[in-house]
Amino acid sequence: MTLFADDAATEPPSTAPSVPLARPAPSRTLAQSRAFGSSLTFLAFLAIFAGYSVWLGDRFLDPGARLLNLHQNVPVLLIALAAMITLVAGKFDLSVSSTASLTAYLAIGLRTEQGLPFWAVLVACLAVGVAVGLVNGFLVEYLSINAFIATLGSGGVILGISSVYSGGGPLIPSGPRAVPGWFDALGSFASRPPAAVVWAIAAVACAALVRLLGAVVPSRWDRTRSLAARTVAVAAAAALVVVGLDVPSWSGGVSWLTFLLLVVATAMWVLLELTAFGRGLKASGANPEAARLAGIHTRRHVLGAFVLGGVLAALAGVILAATQGSVAPDLAGAFLLPAFAAAFLSTVVFSAGAFTVWGTVIGGVFVVWVGQGLIVGGLPNTWTDIVNGAVLLIAVSLSTVVRIARR
Amino acid sequence: MAGSAGLAPTLRIAGLGRSFGRVEVLRDIDLEIGPGEFVGLMGPNGAGKSTLIKVLDGVYPPSAGTIRLGAQQVPSLGASPLVGFIHQDLGLIDGLTVADNLRLGQSPLRLVGPVLNRPAERAAAARALAAVGLDLPVTGPVGDLSPGEKALVAIARAFARGARILFVDEATSTLPPPDAKRVVAALRAMANAGSTVVMVTHKLSEILGATGRVVLLLDGRIAADRSTTGLGRAELVRMLASHEKGAAGPAGDPRPGPADPAAGGPGRTLLRLDGAHGGRAGPVDLVVRAGEVVGLTGTPGSGLHDVGYLAHGSLRPSRGTRTLAAGVRTALVPPHRETQGGFPDLDVGVNLTVSALRRFRGAFGLLARRRERAEGQRLVTRLKVRPADVGTEFRLLSGGNKQKVIFGRALLREAGVHVLCEPTRGVDVAARAEIYALVRRLPDEHTGVLVVTSDAEDLLAVCDRLATVSDGTVSDFRPVDDLDETALEAVL
Ligand SMILES: Nc1ncnc2c1ncn2[C@@H]1O[C@H](COP(=O)(O)OP(=O)(O)OP(=O)(O)O)[C@@H](O)[C@H]1O
Ligand SMILES: [Mg+2]
Repeated sequence: MTLFADDAATEPPSTAPSVPLARPAPSRTLAQSRAFGSSLTFLAFLAIFAGYSVWLGDRFLDPGARLLNLHQNVPVLLIALAAMITLVAGKFDLSVSSTASLTAYLAIGLRTEQGLPFWAVLVACLAVGVAVGLVNGFLVEYLSINAFIATLGSGGVILGISSVYSGGGPLIPSGPRAVPGWFDALGSFASRPPAAVVWAIAAVACAALVRLLGAVVPSRWDRTRSLAARTVAVAAAAALVVVGLDVPSWSGGVSWLTFLLLVVATAMWVLLELTAFGRGLKASGANPEAARLAGIHTRRHVLGAFVLGGVLAALAGVILAATQGSVAPDLAGAFLLPAFAAAFLSTVVFSAGAFTVWGTVIGGVFVVWVGQGLIVGGLPNTWTDIVNGAVLLIAVSLSTVVRIARR
Repeated sequence: MAGSAGLAPTLRIAGLGRSFGRVEVLRDIDLEIGPGEFVGLMGPNGAGKSTLIKVLDGVYPPSAGTIRLGAQQVPSLGASPLVGFIHQDLGLIDGLTVADNLRLGQSPLRLVGPVLNRPAERAAAARALAAVGLDLPVTGPVGDLSPGEKALVAIARAFARGARILFVDEATSTLPPPDAKRVVAALRAMANAGSTVVMVTHKLSEILGATGRVVLLLDGRIAADRSTTGLGRAELVRMLASHEKGAAGPAGDPRPGPADPAAGGPGRTLLRLDGAHGGRAGPVDLVVRAGEVVGLTGTPGSGLHDVGYLAHGSLRPSRGTRTLAAGVRTALVPPHRETQGGFPDLDVGVNLTVSALRRFRGAFGLLARRRERAEGQRLVTRLKVRPADVGTEFRLLSGGNKQKVIFGRALLREAGVHVLCEPTRGVDVAARAEIYALVRRLPDEHTGVLVVTSDAEDLLAVCDRLATVSDGTVSDFRPVDDLDETALEAVL
């Protein structure tokens, strides 16, 4: 079909209407641009950290300690990504933390108790994630059970399975059937990729930033000028950060686990932004009826989101076992709320209203840092939950107020 | 109650403006509307008609200007009991009865204490309906009514609440012609009784047939404001066209003729329904062949759109069969754009390409986003979507522009069978002509079109043969060539 092939021939000679129906795109000032508006929360976080730096000095600006926070929160952030992917599809998955608890048990138990080879243990754990996702997806999409209720129920069952399996007690690997050394090492903050890897990642991040800034520069600038301006800006900022925060001294301090998180997040970003599956997922979440009528297999997409969420949660559980070295009942139970908080924070960190991969990761890390800053400043550890909840509420209400005011 | 409270106060709007960010959607609007006037508000998609009505309602505060009701200056008209607004979704609750819907927003009639006086409420409801010429059991749920009856209930409710000035935004654009006529007649009767009515419409016949004054909004400004006495159809078209290229529209040549006259009639069968049942439709026998445009019409309550869903494949036949030729895709323009059409929070580009992503597979099976954007931008320009930017969030578009985007999505799919339900609902005169031209170019040796519409103009403009749907069954087809508008109305 050649619907548009002969556009040039049939288009009226003058495409400019006699009355300028569309006013020329008004050049926006920085403060009015959409990019600025949607990164307001991000900037607010940076302002908080600047405040902390003044207040606490090196006790907050301690790269080793902050990277340790990140390392320790990798399982939470993976669960957050698991929660996010179903949220993108317009559904809820409350079973993510229970799945992680179960696979944490299996990761150690199948080795020390059942004596399976470790590769089989890993496969089994991921298979559990797939199975949980299939069950959830089936309940929600094919039996049309409300996702909230379905996953609350399946989460309960999964948690129950892990208590039955463990007999309700903790599991500490020991003796000849211990987990392999590399698995223990993976969980340790001290095992790190070479600094060059970190620099490479930083370079990619800077390139991505140069691209992103394209939304901010005045639209009347031509390509070369815009590209040059963006590169200079990013290079200057990067230089400032590298020198100001003395990056070379700690660039070797990024753990393998953190690296793994970055790889998973990048893969998810590619899936959501650059594949037809991701697009279909977003469409199904935005308006399921319209998506179905537009020819998208909404059921398959939502099912896929649940499976992916299950696999990510299973991975989080395995990694949790690696960081802890042992497992206790409902190890990941306390992660459910922070994980959902990070996922919801992503709707305000970088974008206006959409769940995003990087928003989830960065939002989750920032919340941890805000809490850590207060703890360093003398707040008792027990306040962490209050801080987390308050940060989420403040961030979300702030950006809602800003969005309404800008209408 | 209704109709007894006398004349409407005069409405004076001066220097009214409204901007969203840096974009001025309305500017320098001056209007004075007296009692008994029936004003038609026209203008191309995105001209600012709905925004004007929302500003008057108080949904958005004005950025400039004043509003006066009688002698009093008011911030908006929404708070005044004398003014009623009917937005396109009507604001009725389908699950409640007609009487309950009519009571919404009014103080309840009480028997004793909190106990409601149901009989008195029902009587009041029946009286309100009678005022708009409607005779219905008031105890039935609103969900069971036809679209036209719903619109009349909404109008009855506005007047029963005491409104003397009524704003109606495209209430007739979703109605089949007989229903639309009833609604306009009811509004005309209200105006005759001394109320003020302002009606947004894209239908020239409604402006000429019922209103006393037409206000033309262009690019956020009043471009013309004149009485309709002595105004002919041709002159009205010229008024619209003088500001807009290519707006000769349906008054010009309604049928540009088939894309390829040498094709020599319809080709192979692409889609076939045999005794198919689904929803309210059935049994349906229908064939769509390559190279033809098949029209279906009827009232929406008759299962008309269900036939469309059956043909598209989004509704599986519960009985009978649907056969699609091998390798043929279908595309759909759904009839209800607000609920079934768009993804409000995603941008226009994504909304356009979502059905055709396979066309934008690039390296490693990833989406070639630059190509996707470029193709979307091309279509936005072609269909004159405003604002002409694929990055705009869909929900910010005006009603007609949303319709253009959804139509564009179906085009991009490059399907073998296009099922177009109400393809021109709510679009302006120029866009209608553009859509007709595009539909006429669709059929070829691999492509057929099924137009499912309650708009007679669509049928005459693009269809080769047509049939009516009533009680879920499809009548015999007849060629459109030997029908004109009056003969068509007889068929309906
Ligand atoms: N909240 C908003 N933010 C930004 N732009 C808006 C907003 N609401 C409307 N617009 C823009 O204002 C313009 C006028 O829209 P409006 O809905 O008033 O058009 P309309 O005359 O009713 O058109 P139609 O005939 O298609 O219904 C459109 O270009 C629309 O995109
Ligand atoms: Mg409108």
